[in-house]
Amino acid sequence: MTAVIQTHMLTKRYGAARGIDELDLRVDAGQVFGFLGPNGAGKSTTIRTLLDFQRASSGTAELFGLDSRRDSLTIRQRVGYVPGDLRLFDALTGAQHLDWFSRARGGHDPAVSASLIDRFSIAVDRPVRELSTGNRQKVGLLLAFMGEPELLILDEPTSGLDPLVQAEFEALVRETADRGHTIFLSSHSLDEVQRIADRVAIIRDGRLVAADTVEHLRQSAPRIMTIQFDRSVDPAVFASLPDVAKVRATDDGLTIEINGDIRPVLERALTSGLVDLTVRHADLDELFLTYYRDPDTEVAST
Amino acid sequence: MNAEILSLDLTFRRKSIIGYSIGMAVYVLVVVALYPAFKDSSSLDALTADSSGVAALLGISGSLTSPTGWMNANLYANFFPLLILMLTIGYGAACIAGQEHDGHLELVMSLPFTRSRVVAQKTLCLIVQALIFAVVVLACTLIGRGFQLSIDTTDLATTTAAVMVLGIDFGLLAMVVGAATGNRGLAIGAAAAVAAASYLASSMAPLVSWLSPIRYLSLFYWSVGNNQLEHGVALGGAAVLIGTGAALAALAIHNFKRHDLS
Repeated sequence: MTAVIQTHMLTKRYGAARGIDELDLRVDAGQVFGFLGPNGAGKSTTIRTLLDFQRASSGTAELFGLDSRRDSLTIRQRVGYVPGDLRLFDALTGAQHLDWFSRARGGHDPAVSASLIDRFSIAVDRPVRELSTGNRQKVGLLLAFMGEPELLILDEPTSGLDPLVQAEFEALVRETADRGHTIFLSSHSLDEVQRIADRVAIIRDGRLVAADTVEHLRQSAPRIMTIQFDRSVDPAVFASLPDVAKVRATDDGLTIEINGDIRPVLERALTSGLVDLTVRHADLDELFLTYYRDPDTEVAST
Repeated sequence: MNAEILSLDLTFRRKSIIGYSIGMAVYVLVVVALYPAFKDSSSLDALTADSSGVAALLGISGSLTSPTGWMNANLYANFFPLLILMLTIGYGAACIAGQEHDGHLELVMSLPFTRSRVVAQKTLCLIVQALIFAVVVLACTLIGRGFQLSIDTTDLATTTAAVMVLGIDFGLLAMVVGAATGNRGLAIGAAAAVAAASYLASSMAPLVSWLSPIRYLSLFYWSVGNNQLEHGVALGGAAVLIGTGAALAALAIHNFKRHDLS
């Protein structure tokens, strides 16, 4: 498959402060790519470097195989963008924004914008300063999607949208990807990303900590084993076993987080008065929090 | 060349251009209409005849009650440059640094515009605004002919054009600073400070001997500081004003190309 976005050791420093550090990302055509991370992790910095708003300190980024800096003009002809902090022109109406963006892009199919306006009930005849945050955000989505660009870069696009509109947005993203367009979606909402993304990258403190399909991430998530015993058991007995990440005492037993082979734990439990047990994969939520918190968590996959 | 950025910025500046123009038109009309009441006032002339200091403070040389003296003292040597500088420095600082701070520039730069095209269209927008303002001043001053204010049309037109280019130059200076730093306040402050120093260097030069050579560095000297209403704008002066503008525009493009949007 062709890479629509490919970065190599992409680094951006702000003086001593680090923006992003040696980021290697690959986004393929037709993918919905979820770019996850807490606020301040470097999501917007990455996007702003891809779009040439700012220049990398080192490393390279290519979009459509073109250099993000040298070929920025050609790239921006093919990209639709919703900024993380969308600031429309207060005095202009949605329709005036639409006209202006269309002229700047050299035209668009009016049927596409008309259907988006209808689908999201976008108020295009009032100055945007009179619109609520959510309605302004809808105008932002319209401006990004109306030209049917090959790549959509959306920085926290659902902030301020009500749940119904969010669901409609997710449907639009899926349809757009099904038509072969690529969507790069930055978000801090795991829920949103796991519903619509094919692949996920997690960024923390400017570094990539995981990049994989949602399914693989789920499978590689640690197992959580909850065990009941007929006697009191010392958690340390289990904590020392291989692949055990965490042991927590409960009312009548232990909850053990295992990153790998569960058999040693199972064998020890059988000889320690096992009464009952359940095993489940950690939620993506739990995994996500692990990545956010634990500085030693390694990159999960390619 | 399609001019989306020019037309967008003109839309935003429409109200301020109209406001500045109406205000200035009223002021100029009052100044020219008052001329017949003062033109024979010998006491007014005496004010500057014996004191080059007072003349310098007003930014004029020669008689206060001659047509050119009157227009210099009330308009061309002070109020006209001041107001056009407010207009141009205001826009120069707002059009890149201000729009960047407000988050608008990011939206514009996500579209297929090169950075040099953005600066070029904003420079054009600056010129259009200064031109409208200068034409209003010139038109209202020409009405002064009905009030015995007879100034040579060529000298009047070229001096008005010189003040317009002066305004454009300082607007470009604000743009240069804004494009390098993204800081609107700094852009206004730096351009205004240089303008104030230039004004002083030009108007005080007749009084302070060590300022005399320095005045050649002042754009005011080349536009209104050398009694251009009376003698016309020198070709060299025009070249300095236009050359400075071209250099500043090139520098603004250079700075903006290297600037990280914040």
